[in-house]
Amino acid sequence: MPVKDLSPSLERRKLVTKPFSRADKVFYGITKAASGMAVAIVGLILVFLFASSWPALQAQGIDFITGSTWDSSQDPGVFQLGPMIWGSFLIAFNGVFLAVPMAISIAYLIVFMLSSRMAKIATVLIDLLASTPSIVIGLWGFIVFAPIAAHWAELLNRYLGFLPFFKVETENFLGSPFIAGWITAVMIVPIIASVTREIFSQMDRDLINAGLALGGGRASTFFRIILPTSGGGIVGGTLLGFGRALGETVAILFVLNIVFDYNWFNVTKPEGGSVASMILSKFGEAGPAEIEALLASGLVLFVITLLVNWLAAFIVDKAQPWRK
Amino acid sequence: MEKVISLSPVARPAKAEPWKTSSQSRIWQVIFASVTPALLTLGITLAFQIEPPVALLVVFLPIQIISAGALGLKEFGKRGFADAALIVAVVFFATLVLVLLLSVLWSVISFGSKALSLSFISQNNVYISATTSLEYGGIGHALLGTLLIVSLTTVATIPLGLGIAVFLTETRSKARNAIRVLIQAMSGLPSVVAGLFIYSALIVSGVTGYSGLAGSLALLPLMLPTVARIAEEALRLVPAELRNGALALGAPAYRAFFQVTLPAAKSGIITALILGIARIIGETAPLILTASTTNGTTLNMFGAMPSLPYYIYEFLGNGFDTSTQRAWGAALVILILVGILFTIARVLTRKKKPKAKKRKK
Repeated sequence: MPVKDLSPSLERRKLVTKPFSRADKVFYGITKAASGMAVAIVGLILVFLFASSWPALQAQGIDFITGSTWDSSQDPGVFQLGPMIWGSFLIAFNGVFLAVPMAISIAYLIVFMLSSRMAKIATVLIDLLASTPSIVIGLWGFIVFAPIAAHWAELLNRYLGFLPFFKVETENFLGSPFIAGWITAVMIVPIIASVTREIFSQMDRDLINAGLALGGGRASTFFRIILPTSGGGIVGGTLLGFGRALGETVAILFVLNIVFDYNWFNVTKPEGGSVASMILSKFGEAGPAEIEALLASGLVLFVITLLVNWLAAFIVDKAQPWRK
Repeated sequence: MEKVISLSPVARPAKAEPWKTSSQSRIWQVIFASVTPALLTLGITLAFQIEPPVALLVVFLPIQIISAGALGLKEFGKRGFADAALIVAVVFFATLVLVLLLSVLWSVISFGSKALSLSFISQNNVYISATTSLEYGGIGHALLGTLLIVSLTTVATIPLGLGIAVFLTETRSKARNAIRVLIQAMSGLPSVVAGLFIYSALIVSGVTGYSGLAGSLALLPLMLPTVARIAEEALRLVPAELRNGALALGAPAYRAFFQVTLPAAKSGIITALILGIARIIGETAPLILTASTTNGTTLNMFGAMPSLPYYIYEFLGNGFDTSTQRAWGAALVILILVGILFTIARVLTRKKKPKAKKRKK
């Protein structure tokens, strides 16, 4: 005889967690308002920059993004941002290219090679580099590092000058995107490294152990197990670093020779561009019309970095399910 | 013929020490494999007069990889070669970062300590030009200005950052993921954009002139993401049982938060604030665009206000030896401030080890 199921339905009772007291409503209202403020700040930045730069955008038209003249002496002034936008990207590519191997090496070293005490020391050092202000890095870059890097650029030009990337006609090697790229690399290594380290340390150890048990060595474990499983997170971290490199301001200002002329790929040529640094360098002596153009440049920079950072944050968020 | 099976134990190496992680001979081999390439490179570099950076890349690295690879090949066979190459690459890149970091620290400390003195920290910049000797004038006004601007930003950020962290951890709102991504994306906000924002919102529209107040508002969007993210981590580490216990005893959610969750996450929250301060204490571009600077000491937040980063920017731009030294001195002071904040954060987050109970015999 079949036993009739007398137990109450196994479906879990729905728990209602809506706040009911007035004080709780206020409490949750405040937290909601704070989150709303974060959204509002981003929105307000867009609105204010757009509103105050609208006359400049209207006057310059689409050439503002693509053209390559910046002349406030004409009337009306011609303000075109093209070489600066590309210059920012060139420097950021350069920085990421240099920073990614360093960051992954450090993360690998900390998670898989060092003893726990050494790993702690290395983490502190990396955090210290992360919180070194950009003006200090800029000071160091301008006085200590730029001459050294200029010498490296000279050597690159001497031995690899047949490549279009390193061909320089002048004798000057200071102020090139190569040096600015190194400076940004120093600044974004900690960002990429900390994301990568977190992803590495949360990896499923069973996967690695299985690989080792099948006779794999360090190299095969790294290339066939660690990199494929944590690839998404590393890409996200790299994009975060890329976004930071695009927005780097004072550190680049001191080491880059800003020229309004497209420098497509010649990294050791002492001419380059950077939207953020250009804004700061022109701001002091700008008249009202130029200020509007600078605000418009800020808007362009903000939109670009917001897109890059949003994509990066999305990828990193997806790659770290344990944070949910 | 029948195979003779030996029943004696498997012959083992006479000097085997299985309890040690690496044997004596292995250590010597590794030392040999790492010292030889260095010596070889030194010899070749001196003999052929190669530039050091070229020698490092073209001579040292290949020799090092071959030497370590040969050791790996001998010890572990084919896979040992790839492993050794990987280790050499990892150590090379990590050393590069270490060298860059130490170079930054060493130059700031060695150049900065020459400028540092009691009068440099306490005096202000009135009647000081770029070529004035270092005995006169200093960063007192800028230090005070930085502290004022940063503390105002901190006061404004605490409720916002904490509120967002609570929203992300204690509510079940569907907007949480979007907010989390937004905060992460905000942490990459270019500092110059934050400055331009406040410039267009407050200064162009004439609400206020260049002022310390505008400066600290410009720093707010830069500090907020750091504080919110680290505070969220700290709140998440509080065991859910504690909060649920309070709720089960009948406490309203806000009391459960202020009396149970917040005290439990206290050190983490303070760490979040400290790291947020460390993030903005050296921000230059927003202050150039919104706070400007003065030569005298000022406490007026509604007027132009000097700051340490602006001081460095100003004196580095002058290009004289004494002005550069002043910049180094101010950089050292910023770095010391960051170091102090950092040490406090480290001490606070250090996990308290439970005291080991003495084992009874």
